[in-house]
Amino acid sequence: MRTALTVCLGLLAGTACAHPAPNSTLRLEFRADAVHAEYWVPVSELAFARAADPAGEEFPAYLLRHFAAETPDGKAWRVSVDRVRAADYLDHAFVVAEIRLTPPAGATPREFVLVDDTVTHEVRNHVLYVVARHGNQADMLGALQYPAKRLAVAAAR
Amino acid sequence: MRTLVAVLICVAAGAAIPAQSKSISITNCRAPKSPSGAGDIAVALDKLRSLLNDRQRATLDRPLTDAAAIQWSNLPIGVVPRDGLRLGDLDAKQTQAAHDVFKAALSACGSLMLTQVRAADDYLVPFDKRPIGWHGGNYYLSVLGDSSTKGPWILQLGGHHLAYNFTFNGREAGATPMFLGSEPIRFEVQGGMVEPLQAQSEAMSRVATAIAPEAKARLSGTFTDVVKGVVVTMVPNSLPTGGTDTGFPHSYPTGDTDRGIRVSTLSPEQRELVRAAIATYTQLPDTAISGALQAMYLAPEALDQTFVGFAGSPDLGTMGSYVRIDGPRVWIELVVQRAIALPDQLHYHSLWRDKQSDYGGEVRR
Repeated sequence: MRTALTVCLGLLAGTACAHPAPNSTLRLEFRADAVHAEYWVPVSELAFARAADPAGEEFPAYLLRHFAAETPDGKAWRVSVDRVRAADYLDHAFVVAEIRLTPPAGATPREFVLVDDTVTHEVRNHVLYVVARHGNQADMLGALQYPAKRLAVAAAR
Repeated sequence: MRTLVAVLICVAAGAAIPAQSKSISITNCRAPKSPSGAGDIAVALDKLRSLLNDRQRATLDRPLTDAAAIQWSNLPIGVVPRDGLRLGDLDAKQTQAAHDVFKAALSACGSLMLTQVRAADDYLVPFDKRPIGWHGGNYYLSVLGDSSTKGPWILQLGGHHLAYNFTFNGREAGATPMFLGSEPIRFEVQGGMVEPLQAQSEAMSRVATAIAPEAKARLSGTFTDVVKGVVVTMVPNSLPTGGTDTGFPHSYPTGDTDRGIRVSTLSPEQRELVRAAIATYTQLPDTAISGALQAMYLAPEALDQTFVGFAGSPDLGTMGSYVRIDGPRVWIELVVQRAIALPDQLHYHSLWRDKQSDYGGEVRR
C-alpha cells in the first residue's frame, strides 16, 4: 500500500489521484491550554456546500457558522480562525484554515465534542477525518459523514 | 487488448443479453445456465489451481481475514494495490480455467460485466501516462479461506472498476459488497459501442424518471460519489491511507426522512421498474449465490418497505445525478461522476450492499 500511494503522491501531479471526490481532514494538535487545528477542506466539495448556503460571507465567517467545539457536558469552547491559506494535496486544491480551540475555564483541553457540517451539510458522500498530529505522524480519532454532526474527540496520547 | 477484445466479442455473443429496449421486464441473465453452487465453483477453482505454479497458487489462496476481505476498491491498482492472482499474467490455458471459474460463479450478465469493465480499463491505457494502472489485465482473483471445506470462504474478483465479493458457507448468503464502475460510460471497440453499466444505468434512470414528479422522491444534498463506498483518508503531508472498505460496517438511514419515496406508494408499473432495477444487480452472480437474496428483496412485503430516491437529472445525463434503492436489506446506489482520464466526459460508480449479509456476515469489525 505504502509504495503505491507513494506513486499517488509522487507521480500523479495532474489527475486528482484518480479520485474525483476528495474528503476533508481536521488535524489537531493538543497543547497545554488549547487545541490548534488545521482544517483541510477540498475546494471542489466546499463549492457545493457553499452554493447550498449562499450567505455570501468570507470563508472564516462561513466556517464559524458550521464548526464548533464544546465540552462533553455542553459548554461552548472559544473558536477562532487565525489564518486561511490555499494548498494542494494529491492534485486537489484545498482551503486550509488554521483554527484555535480554547476550552472554557476549568475544562480540560484534551477532550471535547466536535460539531461540524462545513461540507457534510450538503455533500452526502463527503467524510471529515479527524486526526491528532504527533510530529510527522497522525492518529485517527474518528470521522463524520452526513447526517452525523457530532464527534467526541479525545487526545489519544 | 486484442485478446480481451476477442473475449469480449465472444462472451457478448454467448451471453444472450437482450438488446436494450423499452421493456421493463426483468432481464433473464441466467437461462440456460443451471445454478452452480459452492461445490461447482470449488471444482472449477481446483482445475485452475492444477494449472498454476506454487507462487501463483499462493497469491490465489489466502486466509480469510477481515483485512483481506475488505481489500477491494474503486481506485486503480497504482493507488490501491490488490492482492490475488493477476488475470493479465495468466497463459491461455490458465485464462480459460479462470473463465470457467467466472462462468460457474457468475451469470452471463455477470461475466459480460467483468469483460466489459476490463475492456473499459483497456480503453484507458493510452491515457495512463504515469501510470496508475488502468489496464484490463489488472484484475485479480482470490480465494479467501479454504474452498475445499465446509467452512466459510470468499471468492474475490475485481480491479479498478469492479468488485465481486461472494461468500460461501458463511453465516449468511453473501453476494456483496459489489462495486461496478465504468470510465468512460460508453466507448468504441472495433467499431462497436460498449457500455458496461447500460442495463443498470437505464433501469435506475427509469426508476428516477418515474418518481421524479413526486417531491418526496428527490433526495437532499449533493452526491459526488456513492455514499457507502470506499474512502481514501487524506492526511496532508502524509501518505493517504484506505481506499478500501475500511468504513465497514456501515450505518444506514432510518425512518422516513430524506430516503426518497416508499415503493408501497408507487403504481404497479412503477413498482415493476424498481424490481427490474434491483434485478440488474442481483442477477450478476450465479443463482446459487444471489437467487435467495433477490427473492427476499423483491418479496412484496420487503418491496413495500423499500425507498427509492434520486438527485440531479433523472436521465443520469449530468454530473452529480444519483439514484438509490434503500430497502430493509438491499442498498443500491448509482452516481454520475466527472471522468478522470477524459475530464470532459462522465463516469459511473455504482454499489450494491446488503445491510445484513455483506461478506456473508463473516467480517465482524
